[in-house]
Amino acid sequence: MVESFKKVLEKDNFIITAEIGPVKGTNTQGMANSINLLKDKVDALNVTDNQSAVMRYSSVGGCLLIKEQGGEPIFQMTCRDRNRLSIQGDLLFAYSRGIENVLCLTGDSLKMGDHPEAKPVYDIDSVQLIQLVRNLNSGKDLSGNDLDGEVDFCIGASATPSADPIEPQLIKFEKKLKAGIDFVQTQAVYDLDELKRFVDYSRNINRSVKILAGVVLLVSAGMAKWMNDNIPGIFVPQNLIDELVKMPKGEGLSKGIEIAGNLIKRIKDEKICDGVHIMAIGKEEKVPDILKAAGILTA
Amino acid sequence: MIGQVKKPIEEILDYLDGKKKIVIYGCGGCATVFHTGGEAEVNEMKDILIKNGKDVLAAIAPPFGEFTCYAPWSKKRMEGYKKQINDCDAVLMLSCGDGLQVVRDILDKEFGLVKAIYPATNPVGHMGGGPSLFREKCIQCGECELGKMAGICPMTQCAKGLLNGPCGGTRKDGKCEVNPDNDCAWVLIYKRLKELGELDKMREILPAKDWSKTQRPRELEVEPLSLE
Repeated sequence: MVESFKKVLEKDNFIITAEIGPVKGTNTQGMANSINLLKDKVDALNVTDNQSAVMRYSSVGGCLLIKEQGGEPIFQMTCRDRNRLSIQGDLLFAYSRGIENVLCLTGDSLKMGDHPEAKPVYDIDSVQLIQLVRNLNSGKDLSGNDLDGEVDFCIGASATPSADPIEPQLIKFEKKLKAGIDFVQTQAVYDLDELKRFVDYSRNINRSVKILAGVVLLVSAGMAKWMNDNIPGIFVPQNLIDELVKMPKGEGLSKGIEIAGNLIKRIKDEKICDGVHIMAIGKEEKVPDILKAAGILTA
Repeated sequence: MIGQVKKPIEEILDYLDGKKKIVIYGCGGCATVFHTGGEAEVNEMKDILIKNGKDVLAAIAPPFGEFTCYAPWSKKRMEGYKKQINDCDAVLMLSCGDGLQVVRDILDKEFGLVKAIYPATNPVGHMGGGPSLFREKCIQCGECELGKMAGICPMTQCAKGLLNGPCGGTRKDGKCEVNPDNDCAWVLIYKRLKELGELDKMREILPAKDWSKTQRPRELEVEPLSLE
C-alpha cells in the first residue's frame, strides 16, 4: 500500500479499502496492530471520525498512525463537530503531514452517541464540504483568501444505494458529483441489483468517479436484524439472515466472513463497480479472512 | 410566537428565597396562549406565593393581545403599578425572556428602579401552529431560503439543518433517523417540489450559509406604530 490512493484510482484494478475505528483513549496499540495487518493488503485505510457520534481518538491522529506505519490513509471528515475554520485548519494540517485523501461526510446525529448533550455544528453540509476541499485544492480558503503552500486532496463522498425513498438521496448525490469528487464509498449494500442501479445512475452523470461498494461484516443474525431496524439505508435480505440463524452459537462470524467474501467476489467478477470498502466494525483483524473468502488474497 | 413551559415551582421559590414582597407580571401574548402567563396562571401563581408566605403586592395580568415584550404597552401597564413595583423586593415574570428583559430595561432606564427580577417560564423556541400543537418552523436565520425549498425550512425541520438534501439517515417510511416521529424534511421538500414541478431547485448547490446574519444580539430600528 505504498502507492497513493489517487494513483490507484487512475488504474483499472479492483480497489479495496477498509476502515480503522480509533480507540477511546490513548492506547493506540490495537489500532497499530490493525494497521500493520491491513496496510499492505488493501489500497487505503479509512479512519472514522467520532463514528456513531461516540467520542474517540481523532481521525487525523489515526491517519498519522497509518502514515507512520507506511500505509495510505483516508481521512474521514464530518460536519458535525467542527465549523468551517476548524475543518479547514485540520485539512491543512493533514495535508502537510502527507494525508492526501479525504472522505466528506455529514456525520451521525449526536443523539446516537455518548455525548448527546453536545451542541451539534453542521456549519456546512457534506456537499459544501466537498466544495470547500475543492477550494483548498485551488489554493483558496472558503472565503477566497490565498493559501501559502500546495493542497491537492483526493476527494471522496458517501452514498446510500439502498435508501428508501431513493430519489432525494440521488439528487443529493448528484450534487456531490457536481461539486467534484474522485471516489464514492457507499453505505453497506447487500442487494446487488440496487447497487447496479446506483452505479448506472452515477456513471451516467460522471463516468470517471470510482465507486466502492460498502461491505459491512455481519457477525450474527442479531446484528443483521439490528441494522435493519436501526440503521436507515442498510437492508440485509432475509435469506442472509436465515443463513446466519442456522449457524451454531458462536459461529455466526465465520458465516459473516463467507457472506462478505461472496459479495465481494460477485462485485468483482461481475464488474458491478470499481471496488469495495470493507467495514469490519471492531473486527478489523478479520479483513484478511474476508479477502481470502473473496478469492482476492491467497492464504 | 415564543413557545414556553412553566418552570418547576421549586426553582421559582429558590429565586424568591429571602424576598418577601413580590409583584407578579404576566403577558397577554404568547404566555397566555401557552398557559404560562395568562390571567389564570398569574392568579394561580399568586395563590402559590401567598401559601408560601409571600406578600403579593400586585398580580398583573395584561389582557389577551397585550404583549409584555412590546415596551410601549408594558411601560403604560407598569405606570399603573408604580407604587407596588417601587415597594416590592422582586418582580416575578410569567413571560418569555424577551418580556422579562424589556420590563427590566423599563425599570432600570425609565423608572430608575434596580429590582430583582426572575423568570417563571422556560422559553423553548419560536413556534407556529395551534390551537393545541405548536412546532418550531423558523430559526430566524436572517436570509430566508423558503423560496428554494417549497416552503419548508430544512434548517429548522431537518435535525442536522442540512441545506443541500437529506443525510443518509432517512428511514424507510420517510421519517428522520434522529427522531422517528418526525418526517425527514428533505423527503417533504422533495415531494412538494416535485408536485410543483420545481425539482430543479433541489438540484442547485446552495453555498455555505452566511451565519454572520445570526450574530447576536441582532436589533432593528423601525418607525413606531401609532397606537392611538
